[in-house]
Amino acid sequence: MSASSGMIDPAIFEDLQTKVDEDTAVRDELKDIIQALEKQNRNISFVLSRAHSTPYADLPSVLKASEEHIRNAIETVSKLAQAASKQPYYKFNGMWSRQVQDALQGILFWAWLGGKDYSGSEAKCGRLLTLEELGEVLKVPTNLKDKDEFHITIEEYLIALTSLVEELTRLARNAVTLGDYERPLLINQFVKDVFAGFQILNLKNDILRRKSDGLKYRVKDVEDVVYDLSLRNLVPKKGVKEKQ
Amino acid sequence: MKEEKFEQPGQAPLPFMEMFEGFRAELDEHHDRRERIIKASRDITAASKKIIFTLQRVRTLGQSVPPFVVKGNAQYWEIIEKQYQHIAADVQGLNAFRYPQITGGNQEFMEALSFHHYLETQTLISYDDAKARVASMSGDTGAVLLTPEDYILGIFDMVGELMRFSITAMATNGKLPAGKPKKEVRSAKKEESEDQGADKMDVDEQTPAATPAEEPRNVLSDLRALRLQLEIFEPGGGKFGADVKKKADVMRECVDKVEKALYQLTVRGTERPKGWVPDVREERRPELESY
Repeated sequence: MSASSGMIDPAIFEDLQTKVDEDTAVRDELKDIIQALEKQNRNISFVLSRAHSTPYADLPSVLKASEEHIRNAIETVSKLAQAASKQPYYKFNGMWSRQVQDALQGILFWAWLGGKDYSGSEAKCGRLLTLEELGEVLKVPTNLKDKDEFHITIEEYLIALTSLVEELTRLARNAVTLGDYERPLLINQFVKDVFAGFQILNLKNDILRRKSDGLKYRVKDVEDVVYDLSLRNLVPKKGVKEKQ
Repeated sequence: MKEEKFEQPGQAPLPFMEMFEGFRAELDEHHDRRERIIKASRDITAASKKIIFTLQRVRTLGQSVPPFVVKGNAQYWEIIEKQYQHIAADVQGLNAFRYPQITGGNQEFMEALSFHHYLETQTLISYDDAKARVASMSGDTGAVLLTPEDYILGIFDMVGELMRFSITAMATNGKLPAGKPKKEVRSAKKEESEDQGADKMDVDEQTPAATPAEEPRNVLSDLRALRLQLEIFEPGGGKFGADVKKKADVMRECVDKVEKALYQLTVRGTERPKGWVPDVREERRPELESY
């Protein structure tokens, strides 16, 4: 390239090419891990969706069946964390944030169904894992500020939370179908509490805002279920608190 | 507090409220940083455009830009420096890559910086020099990062400026701007590597074309050299790949326009009345950085 002898030092573009190629290699490495996580998320959601057609008393079987898949996802997230922490976090996080959100949502639902505290007796529904608790389950840090490493962000947690609300809205209806008139009340309270939390956030026009805008419809959906029950005198008079 | 609305008598206060209050504080900080960066990026873009505009009035190549340019552009360089300093603290450590919104400003600044550098030295500023320049403008808090992607996309845009520069020169002076004689490549290379940023100017050897056989490099040969480099560059996939693809088309058109104009100048040069402008439409480049 003698034509460029004076104008361009060839080393400029050689160096840039090297840099860009290195990033491509990083992406390829991450892509494999992320795809594995995506598959495991599907498995979790496949097993947990049986909760919609399983009577309350039989929930432990669903929780048991999901254990293995959740363990796999936790392992993959650790692998992802290891690979990703070698790079600036925000340089590549767009690649995996959706899959991480799905994993979070799976674990949130699992914990809500009682998976986190399951001790061999009846499953205890209604628990919300905090961001920190989720990090403990996944064995990765959360909401880092001073260290540039892989972690779970607030946004990822909140988006997963909106997905959990959607899942629970569905569960409220399906519980009624199964003859369970108590969990809709529990879900009603839970969804309202989460919604109240979202209401104090100042959200900008982004995905989180869109997700959180949908929450009010879910709140209404669940309220409608409770309304239908109370109209027909199906709401258990007492015992809601005890059964939780 | 909106939460009160949800509180019912005899019930514990809302269970998740404390957690959400923590989130609110952090999200607010995040949004504030983001806003500052978006605004800085816009201001840097605007000031860079003005610098480029003034630079387009330069008619010389390979020597320091005339005083009216230095004077006219000083305020814009200052604005840019101030903006970089303003956001430097927001893009340190973990947050270095968190706000891609700065890329628009970075690219436009890169365009201005490389154009200025080219006019004075007739060379392409290196990525390392450009990155160091932005870092030095960012102040003591830490550097604002100029990524390789910002650099490349800025250089693509600079081709458009070189096209405009060439066409204007041909229209006003009747010839393509050229620099110093191409003799002794070795010394030219050395001088290039010593160049630190765009400020240093080539004051040496203003000797007019040494021997008739040794034609000095002109803008078109430089444009072709750039085109070669940019065309063999492989951006990989993703958004950057798509941006490069789009800009590469515009870049090729720009080089074509100069070649066409030079052809017209060569063929009809003697016939054309003074002040005649070659027939090239100037289309606006598509804006890629839309934040």
